[in-house]
Amino acid sequence: MGSIDAALKPRLRLRTRSEYAGWVFSILVGIGILTSVLTNPNFKWGVVAQYFTHESILRGLMLTIFLTVASMALGTLLGLGLAIMRSSKVKPVSIAANIYITLFRGTPVLVQLIFWFNISALYPDLFIGIPFTDIGTAIDMNALMAPITAALVGLTLNEAAYMAEIIRGGFSSVGKGQIEAADSLGMSAGTRMRKVIIPQAMPSIIPATGNQVIGMFKGTSLVSVLGVAELLQSAQLIYARTYETIPLLLVASLWYLVMTLLLSYPQSKLEQKYSRATSRLPRKAKKVVALTEPEEGNLR
Amino acid sequence: MSNDGTILARKIRKSFGPKTVLKDIDLEIASGEICCIIGPSGSGKSTVLRCINGLETVDTGVLKVNGEDFGYYETDTAYHALPPKKLAEQRTRVGMVFQSFNLFPNMTAHENIMSGPVLVKGQDKKQAAKRAHELLASVGLAGFGDYYPAQLSGGQQQRVAIARSLAMDPEIMLFDEPTSALDPEKVGEVLAVMKELAKKGMTMVVVTHEMGFAREVADSLIFMDDGYVVERGDAREILTNPKEPRTRAFLEQVL
Repeated sequence: MGSIDAALKPRLRLRTRSEYAGWVFSILVGIGILTSVLTNPNFKWGVVAQYFTHESILRGLMLTIFLTVASMALGTLLGLGLAIMRSSKVKPVSIAANIYITLFRGTPVLVQLIFWFNISALYPDLFIGIPFTDIGTAIDMNALMAPITAALVGLTLNEAAYMAEIIRGGFSSVGKGQIEAADSLGMSAGTRMRKVIIPQAMPSIIPATGNQVIGMFKGTSLVSVLGVAELLQSAQLIYARTYETIPLLLVASLWYLVMTLLLSYPQSKLEQKYSRATSRLPRKAKKVVALTEPEEGNLR
Repeated sequence: MSNDGTILARKIRKSFGPKTVLKDIDLEIASGEICCIIGPSGSGKSTVLRCINGLETVDTGVLKVNGEDFGYYETDTAYHALPPKKLAEQRTRVGMVFQSFNLFPNMTAHENIMSGPVLVKGQDKKQAAKRAHELLASVGLAGFGDYYPAQLSGGQQQRVAIARSLAMDPEIMLFDEPTSALDPEKVGEVLAVMKELAKKGMTMVVVTHEMGFAREVADSLIFMDDGYVVERGDAREILTNPKEPRTRAFLEQVL
């Protein structure tokens, strides 16, 4: 049949009726939602555009970014400490870390934030000094726990619990043989951690941490309940005045979306980079040198 | 210093939970001796090796490595565990080569070999690099310094692992089935490196299934079964004319 050699004929994929139905359904729903969004005057896209780069919105965005960066950084450090404690051979130490993680992961962040904001009800004064003596000074907890401090403390302590689990997961992905090899060379526990365990745990820690950053960015919106003027609270403050609730929520949402997309890019790059970590290509430039003269190894 | 490179064990016992894996093991290995340990899997031969460099601790018994009580110090009533720093120091004098190589995948071959001298002994990097270069050449891998372990064959990785242990200048080298994870055609290159090492007078304890290597290189041979040393003596003597029926039965299976 036909003039083409049968061996050269293309092989076509089967297209089922449900595939066509899927196309039609998705396009119809898409058009429907888009028309509604664009034609419904209550969205007030003009107002959205007007406030999108409003000064207080941008200031709120900056505060949101600051809270994300600061509580992620502090939370990761604290989480690293907790992860090390959690994998400790000394039982009480690992149990203490375990209790911390359970408490902070088992209660809502929102509740934790409100709790820290109201901590002065529990401890009116914070005493800094030598325990069980009178040496030191007392600080008024109410003055210390300003909304932004409470926000930072709450987000950090909560994040630490999650980061601890991520880091510990990374640690346990490093094979027992690696630890034995380090031990048999006589490495100290600290060197073993820094040079052998952490570098190898990174491939599983980094992508998960990226997810946490994105989650944290959106999670900061919770601190609006403490009256911290971050992105969401800034929008709320405006619509409390102008009653343009939806357009201002859209402004905030669009910023969250933009920032999340911006963060997703380096996140996927990092994931790619670390998934290749164990099969890296030889450093070509260096190799040429290596074959001709004694190279100077650089131990990272 | 006459005790350097010696291993002495008397009545070593070791249990994992209810299972006793070493039952009154006696060992006496002289400096420069090549000792092969053979036996069926689960006989405790790897555990003996792991005790000698402290990857496992013995429950009771005397264990002296390089003439010193290993990992413990003796008082009138008990053996007390040494602080980690002391133990690490003792370990640097005993090299260990693993069945699964256990090179650090985040470091190049060169960095792997330098890791001990630089990170543990705090040696000057330039000096360590020069030594690493020589060691790589001595295991037949000159020019492979910048390769990561994942880019090397099993045989090459194992030779890098041997070089990494040698970089610490140990008096004793322990080999835990060093060729068991290798393709048959790569076994020879690792055994060749080990034979070279044997010629240089290094004390070596080798857990192996390579009877040819044992026959050719080993001075002494230990046959273990079910946590006991069943037979020990001259390697060629035991391999050709085993005294114990259990040894004979094992050798008939593997030869």
